[in-house]
Amino acid sequence: MSEPFEPKIVLFACNWCTYAALDLAGTSRMKYPPTFLVIKVMCSGRVDPQFILEAFRNGADGVLVAGCHPGDCHYIEGNYKALRRITMIRRMLDRFGIERERLRLEWISASEATKFVHVANEMVKQIKVLGPLAPRLQVSA
Amino acid sequence: MNIAGTINVKEVVDYARTLPHVVDANEYVFMCSAPGQDLIRESIKRFEINRVVVAACSPSMHEPTFRAAIAEAGLNPYLLEMANIREHSAWVHSHEKRRATEKTKDLVRMAVAKAVLLEPLEELRIRMQPTSLVLGGGVAGLRASLDLAERGFKVHLVEKLPTTGGRAVRLGTIAHSKMSGSELLKPIIDSVESNPNIVTYVNSELEALDGSVGYFKGKIKRNPRFVSAKCTLCEECVHVCPVEVANEYDYGLSKRKAIYLPFKEAHPHIMVIDPAACNKCGECVKVCEPGAINLEEQPNEIEIVAGGIILATGFEPYEPPTGEFGYGRSERVLTLFQLERLLDSDGPTKGELVVSGSIPKSIAFIMCVGSLGTTENAHPYCSRMCCASSLKNMIRIKELYSDTTIYALYKDIRTYARYDEKLYERATERQIKFIAFEKTPAVNVDPDGVAVQVRDATLQERLIIPADVVVLAVGMSPSKDLDKVRSVVKVGCSPEGFLREAHPKLRPVEAPADGIFLAGSITSPKNVLETSMAGSATASKASILFAKGEFLVEPITAQVTEEICSGCAICIAMCPYGAISRKTMGEKRVAEVDRALCKACGACVAACPSGAMQQAGFKDTQVLAQVVAISERRNA
Repeated sequence: MSEPFEPKIVLFACNWCTYAALDLAGTSRMKYPPTFLVIKVMCSGRVDPQFILEAFRNGADGVLVAGCHPGDCHYIEGNYKALRRITMIRRMLDRFGIERERLRLEWISASEATKFVHVANEMVKQIKVLGPLAPRLQVSA
Repeated sequence: MNIAGTINVKEVVDYARTLPHVVDANEYVFMCSAPGQDLIRESIKRFEINRVVVAACSPSMHEPTFRAAIAEAGLNPYLLEMANIREHSAWVHSHEKRRATEKTKDLVRMAVAKAVLLEPLEELRIRMQPTSLVLGGGVAGLRASLDLAERGFKVHLVEKLPTTGGRAVRLGTIAHSKMSGSELLKPIIDSVESNPNIVTYVNSELEALDGSVGYFKGKIKRNPRFVSAKCTLCEECVHVCPVEVANEYDYGLSKRKAIYLPFKEAHPHIMVIDPAACNKCGECVKVCEPGAINLEEQPNEIEIVAGGIILATGFEPYEPPTGEFGYGRSERVLTLFQLERLLDSDGPTKGELVVSGSIPKSIAFIMCVGSLGTTENAHPYCSRMCCASSLKNMIRIKELYSDTTIYALYKDIRTYARYDEKLYERATERQIKFIAFEKTPAVNVDPDGVAVQVRDATLQERLIIPADVVVLAVGMSPSKDLDKVRSVVKVGCSPEGFLREAHPKLRPVEAPADGIFLAGSITSPKNVLETSMAGSATASKASILFAKGEFLVEPITAQVTEEICSGCAICIAMCPYGAISRKTMGEKRVAEVDRALCKACGACVAACPSGAMQQAGFKDTQVLAQVVAISERRNA
């Protein structure tokens, strides 16, 4: 590869906490790598395992699911549902040979723009070490 | 600098024009301004556009603006998708302009992919029944009922006990006043009783609840009182009743008969028979001159309709396990709530502090019992009212019996309210001996008295205080009845066991579900003042709902494709709002969503194994279109 590897990460952000944190990062003019493609869902509990697997299949090098802190969910307990699903999907990823580190779940409240930036930088670094996923997943179009 | 400072907008617009389904793409410096909106409307008309993507600031800023704009041009407002290229791209990637432009193209492509699949949606409009159901007839419930009734709304006030007034009505004295609890509440109880907009059901419980905001249907079970309003309180029945049990209204300090008046100022002011104690001997019936007693009275059910519900079922005092600080082992160990009864001029001792036959010469108050993790069973939180309440009672005792020595053993003293610091000052002036402890004190009970062992945290010395009476300043626990309430009304619970608010700071008297409000100590420990405020606050919130006349539900709720649904019911368990049920459809059962109850989290959709459950605006196909569009290759 001639160009340096810049990962593509899909970010499923809940409407109430993480999406607002991303907005705050913007209004605060924080900086993070232009790596994250944001898909808004109302709750992290809406994230269907299929969304994550399709993201990997369509060229994502990583997937970040982020929602409200435990106990703080706008929908009472949607984030716990996300936690259980992500735990389950990680086990599936093992079988597909996709490193667990490529799927990350984070609790980022509306005020935690700094935490998002920290998570973003860390995740990009980690995935750069793992390298691109796409060449290993030959999509049969 | 705005978007154009980082992003090559022209390049993004040119790129957008190449995307499938895109017929027009434009740029404008302030798309949200009137000329910007005109541009959108003109384009809709000129190209007969039926889906709109706005790539601009965060939808939290101007999504409503752009929805209104496309609606004016005749499009359904939900045929809009926004790409947040300002907060999520231009403003955070100014250090990498080239890649920021590429990312922006990605975001636009993803938004277009979703927009293609958007469907017109309609808001659900619910007609509002301007009637309130209030559960709990204590300070919070009374205050809320009266406020709503005075605003002109009808109220069904349901109280489980045979009397209103809750726990506050049984307080011996009220701080900063010369009044007892019953004197304090008399005017509000009288107003509630005489207000034609309020129907009060004492001795009653909410048995079942259906429906949702705007139109709840409740079933109230009215337990028999066995005594009618003909009762003149002559007390002949009480004299002949052979059954005697502990009086729970005096926290067990006195005895009552199976037929009784709960306390002197009980409302309604007539006798009641406790069916658990009554042996149906019929003696009372024989002596009742007005013929007010009917031992065969049956419970009856009343169906009511309400647009909103106020839950105000209160708290219960922390009950120390037997042996904790000698509680239950000696009648000399009292709780704060028992002390209130003893100091009430209408209480079991007519306001005389008589314990074990005499007036105590020495009293030790132990503070933070059941709070701040003082013992193994204690709650972790502070119960807020016990410090001021204890100080108030210490001062009252000193006023009555100046010779009595009072010790206040405290972990921490929090007299946070405007006047309450004065209580502390007055207590020190009256020579109350304050002793700070770090390690929880121990109480030894013997027949003649009680001895409190404590290590004084200031002196670092071990003290043994011989006392005639120990008062445990117990805090507030969530009511045990909350489980029953929660089995009927769908509300969440905090780890401490209180009900959970929609937002602990900004929406403190609303439950997460629409149309359900939480008043008083049902959400956290509160004193009478705070409870009263919460009662008024819920009435105000309910009034807002009722005054609007109708309730709009955002249309992004869950919906079932009945043909696909197998009725597996996985979704029902996922829903925190009880919005999903099953109905029979021909041969099979299928899920059914009450759109007024659904809050649009989408948890049921993610769990549905067949794809029958979908969320409007966030359908699997719509979100997957965005996911697939992360890669340019599959779209090109």
